[in-house]
Amino acid sequence: MEGFMGEAANTVSPGSGRRLKSGWFTYRQKKRITPWLFVAPCVVIILLVTIFPTIYSFGLSFTKWEISLPNRPFIGLGNYAALFKDVRFLHSILITAIVVVVGVGTEMFLGFGLAQILSVKMKGKRFFVAAFLLPVMAMPVVVGYTWRLLWDAMYGPINQIIGWIIGQPFQFTWLAKTSTAIFAILVTEIWQWTPFMFLVYLSGIVSLDPELFEAADIDGASGWEKLRYLTIPLLRPIIIVALLIRGLDALKFFDVIFALTGGAPGNSTETISFYIYKTGYQFFRLGYGAAASFILLIALVLILSYLLKLLKTVME
Amino acid sequence: MWPNNKKYFYKEEAKMRASRVRKFMLLLFAVLFLIGMSVQFGMAGKSGKESAPAPEKEVVKETVVVSGPFSSASKAVEEAKKYKGTTLNVVWEAGLQSQDPLTMGPKWEELTGIKIKVVELSYNDIYSNQLQDHLTGGSSYDVITFSPLWLIDYVTAGVVAPLNPYIDQYMNKDDLKDYLNVYGAEGYGRIGETWYGLPDDGDVFVLYYRKDLFEDPANKSDFKAKYGYELAPPKTWDQFNDIGNFFTDKFSPKIYGGAIQRLEGQVYSWWDGAFSGNGGRFFDPDTMKPMINSPIGVKTLQQMVDQNKWMPPGVEKWGFVEILSAWMDGKLAMVITWPPIGRWSAGYGATVEQLSWVPKTKVAGKVGYVPPPGRPGLAGGFCLGISPDSKNKEAAYLFIQWMNSPEISLQRVMLPFALRDPFRISHFESPLYSSLWPDAPEYLNCLKEAAMKGQMELGIPGAREYAEAIDNACTSAFAGTDPKAALDNAAKRWEEITKRLGADKQKENYALWEKGPWNKEGPK
Amino acid sequence: MRVRSRQALSQTARYIIACVALVFFLFPIVWIFLTAFKTGEEFYHSPPVWIPHSPTLQSFSNVIKTGGLRSLVNTLIIAISATVLSLFVGSLAGYGMARYKVGGTNLPFFILSQRFMPPVAVIFPFLIVFKALKWVDTYQALIIIYLTFNLPYAVWMMRGFFQEIPVVIEESAMVDGCSPFGAFWRIALPLVKPGLVATGVFCFIFSWSEFFFAVCLTRSKAVTLSVHLANFFGKMMVMWGEVGALSVMAMLPLFFLSFVVQRYLVRGLTMGAVK
Repeated sequence: MEGFMGEAANTVSPGSGRRLKSGWFTYRQKKRITPWLFVAPCVVIILLVTIFPTIYSFGLSFTKWEISLPNRPFIGLGNYAALFKDVRFLHSILITAIVVVVGVGTEMFLGFGLAQILSVKMKGKRFFVAAFLLPVMAMPVVVGYTWRLLWDAMYGPINQIIGWIIGQPFQFTWLAKTSTAIFAILVTEIWQWTPFMFLVYLSGIVSLDPELFEAADIDGASGWEKLRYLTIPLLRPIIIVALLIRGLDALKFFDVIFALTGGAPGNSTETISFYIYKTGYQFFRLGYGAAASFILLIALVLILSYLLKLLKTVME
Repeated sequence: MWPNNKKYFYKEEAKMRASRVRKFMLLLFAVLFLIGMSVQFGMAGKSGKESAPAPEKEVVKETVVVSGPFSSASKAVEEAKKYKGTTLNVVWEAGLQSQDPLTMGPKWEELTGIKIKVVELSYNDIYSNQLQDHLTGGSSYDVITFSPLWLIDYVTAGVVAPLNPYIDQYMNKDDLKDYLNVYGAEGYGRIGETWYGLPDDGDVFVLYYRKDLFEDPANKSDFKAKYGYELAPPKTWDQFNDIGNFFTDKFSPKIYGGAIQRLEGQVYSWWDGAFSGNGGRFFDPDTMKPMINSPIGVKTLQQMVDQNKWMPPGVEKWGFVEILSAWMDGKLAMVITWPPIGRWSAGYGATVEQLSWVPKTKVAGKVGYVPPPGRPGLAGGFCLGISPDSKNKEAAYLFIQWMNSPEISLQRVMLPFALRDPFRISHFESPLYSSLWPDAPEYLNCLKEAAMKGQMELGIPGAREYAEAIDNACTSAFAGTDPKAALDNAAKRWEEITKRLGADKQKENYALWEKGPWNKEGPK
Repeated sequence: MRVRSRQALSQTARYIIACVALVFFLFPIVWIFLTAFKTGEEFYHSPPVWIPHSPTLQSFSNVIKTGGLRSLVNTLIIAISATVLSLFVGSLAGYGMARYKVGGTNLPFFILSQRFMPPVAVIFPFLIVFKALKWVDTYQALIIIYLTFNLPYAVWMMRGFFQEIPVVIEESAMVDGCSPFGAFWRIALPLVKPGLVATGVFCFIFSWSEFFFAVCLTRSKAVTLSVHLANFFGKMMVMWGEVGALSVMAMLPLFFLSFVVQRYLVRGLTMGAVK
């Protein structure tokens, strides 16, 4: 969608021109400033709040910062070099990638599907929508520990239900083995965040002009065709934004891992965010933690700017 | 076009608004009703529940324990009166632990006029939060809670202030000798002769066993037939394994041989004690090469993996509450864990409100206590210190002196919901404590005996990282990794940590740590 | 006149799928809800206890006595303030970027990048700043932090939603003499109500359930719900009853809120506007 200031300037009527001219600025200058006024509060706030912490943290990443050592010397890229050799860090990248790709991907499909299903008039729709939002309203720490109880071998209802289905007691410890622990983590994460995708897509779908759909109906389009050729293309900006936001949040995935596995068994279910938490906060290795965070930051900047360029060309 | 749609729109809106108002009123009513009911029920106590005994009103039992010229507690109160009106911010572990200062704080305020504000933090956050607060220009906290494992880190960073000036001025020095030797030792609350924290908790592992199951003649004869020796509380880990297997084979799923906490973040504590008891030593003191992956270390871990086989399913993720639930329900023949379970399973504290979440005990009177096989582990514990940034250092000190004094600390460890365990000689010899439940004297003896030969967790700089490496090795092994490989990995990490923190400095610190009553190798 | 639309799925099929989804999403919530009424033996029981045998309100009274309501109020204040501010500032910026393409692609990206940093990395300098301002344990510290971390989300979401609605309406309004801000406030904003709802709900939820900054920046006065709840989970105890009770008390206003805002999730706000 193009900006429209140029056209407005051309179609302005003599009377309105006089009204628009006010105070210090001419209409022309105002045209240049007004757009920036819209974004000014946002930019100012962000800059004011985050500039110092970011620079401080950046500086920290070049120091050797240990609690038990009195000196905090500058070690250049020492932390960064150590991180690239750190198997635990590299493994956490893998786990994070799995969680993000599989988790967010599934959430997207499920959320979109549910939104489509609930986008028509149906009885009790409001109740369904409100109920679907409940998972996101529960505190992450409560969600984590509750799901841990649900997955418990002896005390958890999931095993109980499976036991009913297969007809004999089932007491498998989901969270004790890496593969099943990752599965449990994914289920919990999908459970918690599909409602987000659901709500975003639902609001997107209801914002669409129904006349377009009526026109399609007149043309005899089937439900699936309408979906493919109308809904999805129209919702593309929303889909992308939801993916972006959710993906970014998933990268900082923490609470559920903390409560469900604590990274166990061993370190096999640690995500990047969890590892940074352990290193930078629990062990208080500020320099190392900061360096890991900046590696994450730079990686994201590179990946996302590439992705967005790609999407831009696809979109036009 | 517009007007028609608008009318339709508004009509729809009006309809929706009406139904929405109805729903809103209904919901509002429901919420208010719920709040009203709960407040009413709360105030009426447990009148709604059938046949539950009335909750104990007076949970603090008064005590008098004085030796020497004067009582530290009274002196503290006397001196503190001049600080009347101040407020002290006291950090404490959140949840049940903080019921202790929340109960004692008002008493202190009554006596001195100093208000106690408890800042509750979960265990993981206590270390980092206090550290962070101090390093960014402190003064949020007056009283610091810390584990002896963090002592050196905290002293190096300056999070706790030396207490000696205040001790010399205000404390009855006999009280320092009243600590059980391990708790008053170097590296627990003091470095050399400088005290940084007053030891406040006698946390030690005890083996609890079901006397009724062990003394049952049918069990005794079956066991003798199968294993060839008398059924008795195990003295070695092999016996422990045999007995565990026996009970699980015979009684599961109703009763299992036993359970130990295998949860990540905790399990390493049990490995430490067992390792030392098997003859292991953490480092080679000359080269600072880790010895955790020696054959002894591998054997220790292998033993733990074998034990899991006869423990209840899911034990790999069991923390204290899971063990507690199973134990109180009568499902376990043995447990090795922290002291509070011994009190609660005897039924002590059953009626207290703060313990309403604890399952009712089905094993009261059936519980025996012995020190765990090999060597018991000393599980961290707590010390009370003061912050050098505090504006009320002296008032803070007087508060902790009072809390930690023989008579007040006795009251505190006797609280039904206490998570602080006896740590003073006067506690262990107290006739009042011994009268709390029939087996209390046996319990106290066991705690004392276990502590005297206990193995402290490694307490040198980087302690938490070393502990984490072992913890990870344990959980990996439970998931199927070969114990030797898991421990080799942990040893590699240990080497990295040592190198990073300076091998020479660590050597000094390790030598210092080994001077404690905990032996270098094997039990005394 | 309504054309009989050929839906991909019949009404029954929709209901079935919706109900299956309902069970999946509600099960843990109902579990938490029931836990609030359970007694000690019923938290960890084999086989698990679904319905408490003699429900009790003891946990609710415990929670209220230990300051649960205070945390709830604190969190409400902080979350509502942060959300309102984020929505306002965010939609302003989102509009500017959607309509005027301010800052091209770099500015939106810069704003988004605020979401890249894990909180752990920046908490230390934040504490230094807030200590200097004497803002530790206050509402404003958390509100500002949540505002800043919500903005990328609010801006991008609103930008997306603004891009969805046709420009033409605002253009004609500006032709009729409306100011740019007026076009934003009176024309565009009402048209993206569903988008505002979605964005607002999630800004609120993020501020509501955020934990790390809350635990580091509060001491005793501004303790939020997430910190209070986390304190029930300890090394030696899990007070499930209280957890359930406080969670229920926390979710009720949110459930009510989501019920209310649904009226904005109504199709057809742009209906006929283009004509």
